[in-house]
Amino acid sequence: MTTAILQGQADFGAERHQTDRAGYLLVAFFALPFFLFNILPVLFGVYVSFTRWSIVGTPKWVGLDNFHKAFTDQWVAVAFKNVFLYGLVIVPCVTGLGLLFALFVNKRYPLSGLARTLFFAPTVVSATVIGLVWVWMLDTQYGLVNYYLSFLGFDDIPWLTSTRWSLIGISIASVWWDLGLAFVLFLAALQDIPGEIIDAARVDGANRWQRFKHVILPHLRPVISMVVTLQLISTLRIFSQVYVMTNGGPASSSSSPIHYIYNLAIVRNLFGYAAAVSLLLFVLILAITVVQRFLLRERA
Amino acid sequence: MDLTSLNKSTFALNRRTLLRSAAAAGVGLAVPHIWTGRASAANPIEIVHWSWLSASDGEVWAKMIAAFNDAHKDKGVQIRMEVVPEEQYVTKVLAASATGKAPDFGWGTAGKSAQLARDEVIIPLDDLIAGSGLDLADFSTTSIAGSRYPKYDNKVFMIPMDLMSLQPEINLDHVKEAGLDASKPPLDGDTLLEWAMAMTKREGDKVTRSGIMMTGSGVQPTVTWGIVAEQMGFQRASDDLKTACVNPDAGKAAMQWVLDLFDKHMVSTRDVTDRYKAFGTGQGSIFWTGPWTLAGYVAQKLPFKTVLFPKIGAKHVTYLEMGGLEFYKQADPGRHEATMAAVKWLSDNSFLWTTVGRGASPRKSILERPDYKTAGSPWDIRGAFVDGMSFATIGEIPVVNGPNFTIYSGGNFLAKTLEGVWSGQTTIDAAMQQIQTQWQSDLDEG
Repeated sequence: MTTAILQGQADFGAERHQTDRAGYLLVAFFALPFFLFNILPVLFGVYVSFTRWSIVGTPKWVGLDNFHKAFTDQWVAVAFKNVFLYGLVIVPCVTGLGLLFALFVNKRYPLSGLARTLFFAPTVVSATVIGLVWVWMLDTQYGLVNYYLSFLGFDDIPWLTSTRWSLIGISIASVWWDLGLAFVLFLAALQDIPGEIIDAARVDGANRWQRFKHVILPHLRPVISMVVTLQLISTLRIFSQVYVMTNGGPASSSSSPIHYIYNLAIVRNLFGYAAAVSLLLFVLILAITVVQRFLLRERA
Repeated sequence: MDLTSLNKSTFALNRRTLLRSAAAAGVGLAVPHIWTGRASAANPIEIVHWSWLSASDGEVWAKMIAAFNDAHKDKGVQIRMEVVPEEQYVTKVLAASATGKAPDFGWGTAGKSAQLARDEVIIPLDDLIAGSGLDLADFSTTSIAGSRYPKYDNKVFMIPMDLMSLQPEINLDHVKEAGLDASKPPLDGDTLLEWAMAMTKREGDKVTRSGIMMTGSGVQPTVTWGIVAEQMGFQRASDDLKTACVNPDAGKAAMQWVLDLFDKHMVSTRDVTDRYKAFGTGQGSIFWTGPWTLAGYVAQKLPFKTVLFPKIGAKHVTYLEMGGLEFYKQADPGRHEATMAAVKWLSDNSFLWTTVGRGASPRKSILERPDYKTAGSPWDIRGAFVDGMSFATIGEIPVVNGPNFTIYSGGNFLAKTLEGVWSGQTTIDAAMQQIQTQWQSDLDEG
């Protein structure tokens, strides 16, 4: 009996061992490419950030020089300041308008089905196309936006050609492009709220605003947190619109860290320095995300 | 049946099957390559060419390549052209070179490839030229001088294909409307401003049509500053490439000259996003640009003529850009000879390229052909780009950080620094100080 049990345990052990190996093998189909094409390049990027390298030849170790240079480079400061301003404009607008449009569509007013399609449509268009279209829309002399604003008595606004307005011009295009995803996420969350809770609040005498503030909004907090996080990350990585609409100008007033990194690496072949600036951006994104998730989770 | 044994055998079978499948897949993938490799030995030599020409000049260049392939259909050599975006061109060449898969030859700009020469990505061509029979004496002295890099044994690194200069194109409808005489274009700075003022249109204090086509940032104000500054006596680098910003006061005066176009004379507006489209749609009257615009404007029937760049300062100079073909280092150096033979053919047969495609020919024999002035676009619009080569001398600074000195750029160090001046965020003195510091450090690096 004891021998049989021991034999059984031995068989089980051998089987488990083999099953484990099968598990590793199965995971390897994902893990290996992920390591090769995601983790390894990131690690290589970290290494490159401590070197001077232009693809050809061996990277030359320069220690912290690239980081020191980044902290004293005025264009890096401008790019990071700009991305902060982009965040201040784009994130609240996308979150607020996305929620507003979702509330509208969720009410199932006439044409809300069409509105749902229209609100989401820009998301499926590529950023390049969005950029090209908005360059024409925001043209100072012949753009549609200024044309309609002129009926309201506004002078022509140099949306993309002035240091004062270029960031706003790009933000308008970005909000229009990013709105769709936020809208869909909010709409899905709204449709998940049990109708009974809202009905109960109504029976208890809560008016529309009170129902929104005390019933709907608390249910939406996890989604708000997610939308803000996603939008924040997306804004910190803003590139295509900047590249297509202003190429960072005038006078770097609309440049962004990714746009600057692109110029350093692809145009000027300063891969070591570009990697160092990328690493700074990575740390910034990580820090903001952690803080912001912590703050919103605390209240949820 | 024992389930444990079933599982074990299934696992063992799966693993074996997996290994077998992987091996089979590997062999399956490898076999076509092995087969192709054998087959390719029987195929003609295929020379790989990368080009970044994508506008109307790209179409003409494609015809040149097609003509070569037609002429060599039965001679065992063909060119395969691949178009790579200009902005990513050097990076892609570097990456391809690092992996041993560089194209055989590609487009380059004189003076801009010092880094590639230093890293031995492009090769010196002196010996190959001598062996191919390409007659260097038939090329203009300027073009061959511009193809050399003094720091790298003064060797020739490029076969010049065309010479381009920046000259003003003038909208003839606007000239007529302003009562000006198109046959007597402005030759100096004062007359240029008179013409610009006569053709500028304003609503209140807002310029709605620029007498001089300008943008608030990017290439146009940068290259304008570069030309005017050199005309006023500024030099980006001394002749021995040791001192940056010779005569900085002239550089500052040129910055003021550009600023005055916007703010004092009010003949230009900063509110133009696309200068090519703007001139093509009549939003500007005088537009200094290169010969690459001709085919497009002719096709859209824009009424215009091209004149010589006026003498605004003491020296009559304008921007020069020389396009040519560079050879990338190959694992099999034997390929270079075949490439040289192909490039020689393209150079010898570059009549179409230098009459319809882009700028003036660097080849004396082509310039002297009686039909050179009558071929391609009318001489009225093409002539200034050929005649103007006599004073087109503002080229590139042949150092590794040469791109920082380029005046025809919308996003390099120079353009970004000057944008601060155009937008009023930086003073002229501060900008010149920044330029001097950066350029001196670039020259010191060599």
